[in-house]
Amino acid sequence: MTSTATRRRGRMARNWLMFAALAGPNILLLIAFTYKPLLQSFYYSTLQWNIGSSRAISVGLRNYTDWLTDSQTPHVVGVTVVFTLATVGGGMVLGLSLAVLLNRRLKLIGPARTIVVAPYVLSGVAVGLLWLFVFDPNFGIVAAVLGFVGLPSPAWYNDPQWALVMVIIVQLWKNVGYIALIYLAGLQAIPKDLLEAASLDGAGPVRTFRRVILPLLGPTTFFLSVTTLLSSLQSFDIIQAMTKGGPLEGTTTMMYEIYREGFVAGRAGYSSAVATILFVVLLIVTLVQMRFVERKVHYA
Amino acid sequence: MNPRSTVFSSTLTRRNLLTLSAALGGTALLAACAGPSVGDAGQAAASTAPAQDWTGIKPASSITWWTNHPGASMATEQAMINGFQAANPGITVNMVTAGANYDEIAQKFQAAAGTDSVPDLVGASDVWWFRYMINQQIIPLDGLASHLNANTADFNTTLYDDYKYADSHWAMPYARSTPLFYYNKTLWSAAGLPDRAPATWDEFDQWAPKLSAVMNGAAPLGIGKGTSWAAWWFCNIMWGKGGAYSSDWSMKLDQPETLEAGNYLRRIINDDKSAAVSATDSTADFGAGLSACTVASTGSLTGILASAKFEVGTGFLPAGPKGAFTPTGGTGMAIASSKSPEQQLAAGMFLKYLTDAEQTATFSAATGYMPVRTSAMDGATMTAIYAKKPQFRTAVDQLKNARSQDWARSFVPSGDKYLTTALEQIMLQNSKAEDVFPKASADISTSYDQNVKPYL
Repeated sequence: MTSTATRRRGRMARNWLMFAALAGPNILLLIAFTYKPLLQSFYYSTLQWNIGSSRAISVGLRNYTDWLTDSQTPHVVGVTVVFTLATVGGGMVLGLSLAVLLNRRLKLIGPARTIVVAPYVLSGVAVGLLWLFVFDPNFGIVAAVLGFVGLPSPAWYNDPQWALVMVIIVQLWKNVGYIALIYLAGLQAIPKDLLEAASLDGAGPVRTFRRVILPLLGPTTFFLSVTTLLSSLQSFDIIQAMTKGGPLEGTTTMMYEIYREGFVAGRAGYSSAVATILFVVLLIVTLVQMRFVERKVHYA
Repeated sequence: MNPRSTVFSSTLTRRNLLTLSAALGGTALLAACAGPSVGDAGQAAASTAPAQDWTGIKPASSITWWTNHPGASMATEQAMINGFQAANPGITVNMVTAGANYDEIAQKFQAAAGTDSVPDLVGASDVWWFRYMINQQIIPLDGLASHLNANTADFNTTLYDDYKYADSHWAMPYARSTPLFYYNKTLWSAAGLPDRAPATWDEFDQWAPKLSAVMNGAAPLGIGKGTSWAAWWFCNIMWGKGGAYSSDWSMKLDQPETLEAGNYLRRIINDDKSAAVSATDSTADFGAGLSACTVASTGSLTGILASAKFEVGTGFLPAGPKGAFTPTGGTGMAIASSKSPEQQLAAGMFLKYLTDAEQTATFSAATGYMPVRTSAMDGATMTAIYAKKPQFRTAVDQLKNARSQDWARSFVPSGDKYLTTALEQIMLQNSKAEDVFPKASADISTSYDQNVKPYL
């Protein structure tokens, strides 16, 4: 009995050692580069601190009240919501459509899949610089095409609304390949016998898609809705490369405001307060998705 | 297998909660160990450090220099380093490309504070050096310059005093610029205009219809928007009308002359159509022939001369009823306070070399930035350049109209952003100055109260 208990304890100790050896480095890295900065950010949000300075002033919740009462805040929140809904919603619809196309047995489907996914692996800054030329109202391809049919180029860079449309288009172009790729994997995981059964029951392509394929893609859609929502809310590189939040702050999202206040204005405390608010928003949105949306997901 | 458990596990047990609490508690302790020292408003003000006695200090053998190579000057800067190292064999200069522009350099310098990555010598632009100073990241240079016999009296006074605060200079001028009026001589000739820039904005108003007539109705003047730019060149129009963003720390955006300047800008774009806001780059648009004239930095001179397919004319910025004024811009170089006196001394020696008469002329000839020393402006190197490219002379001659920038833009965090937003509303949305300047004024005042005043 005693030797059995000793062996069990020894096994437990070995398991713990193995756990510490395998998970320890990851946990330490997470603490150092995720949780510690996260908590530091909470702390800094209570300071009036010029980044770079070794001195700061404790101001309690003033940074939060300043942001909440700033007349620009509703505009920034509005831009964030429009940008996020357009890139997530538009991305899901376009991505699913592309995935359906790419799931067909067509000639050159391999290269087509590569072409669709390729923009996702490009650097956001490179993509932004590339599209900067595409949308140039004097020399860009878009202006040339519109001019060919007798239309003027929109003021992509001087009109806040068009500027927002422009960065949404570029964000969609960059990320739709990723969404299509995940949806394609989801489509290919659907059992063929289910589709054959639906066909035998007389369901046409549209009905099969609505009643069989879409529900079975539920887990994929749920996964994509969470991940693309989080990445859209944190999008930064394309906006920085193309518009720097302008014109007239027409493309300033909360994420961009965090960067601009922290590193351009040097207001580290204020920037941390906005970052904390965005963190809370992301947490709530994710929890709501998990609590309410996931219930409606059908797992095969 | 249940995919739910593999994708997002939402099970919250007592054990999980305790583990999470322990992890957060541990990291909270770690978090509290870092960051700035925290006090109340009265304790944040800068303390006066005793002046460094440089006697007996030996220069370090190696220093690091952060630059963005203004005016595509990387090769020129490397050549200057080679020259310095040849003259000072015991000191090695490590040049680091620390950003694509002044803002990126400044962001990195501020983010590096408190780490081992701080450079010895760093770019300090017109809108950043003051923040370095109130953050206590740089040292005053007067004592060091005196120790090194750097002959600061030879610097152009305006360019040197741009870095003066509290009777000390916190940087030395390096790649300094002013806006210039660039014009397309071909279009000028077609419009029957004299081969010169308009002397006043009134004269520009008279010339604009003639230029527009030979441009198929297009606006002749191309101007730029965006932060770090619009609120800079607008100083010329504003000061010319007697306005200002501020006088020291007092806001002046509500005075009639400033409002008049804002409304003049609104009129030439939205009513007269004699000016248009470029989509991305007004300098590139001018070089491509899209506009007949533009206001661009002297630092763009070499690039414009290289890219334009027409003959380029340069002139002073037009004057207003109260006179001709031009803001100064560009970057100086500052020495980090966190480095040892030996490092600072070596950095000072290199800075003295970088800004001596010969090097500033060489740098100016290569880039179009202005020579920062009076003796260099009429030296042999610059005289040869003027003979070859007379446009270079304009910037130097225009220095007599130079005026240091208003503190509201250059010293207050986000000051430039608030002013740019107001100016973009005027330019792009046809807003009246009376409707947009008050908010900019209030925002800048708040930023001053929160981000500057407690640290002075």
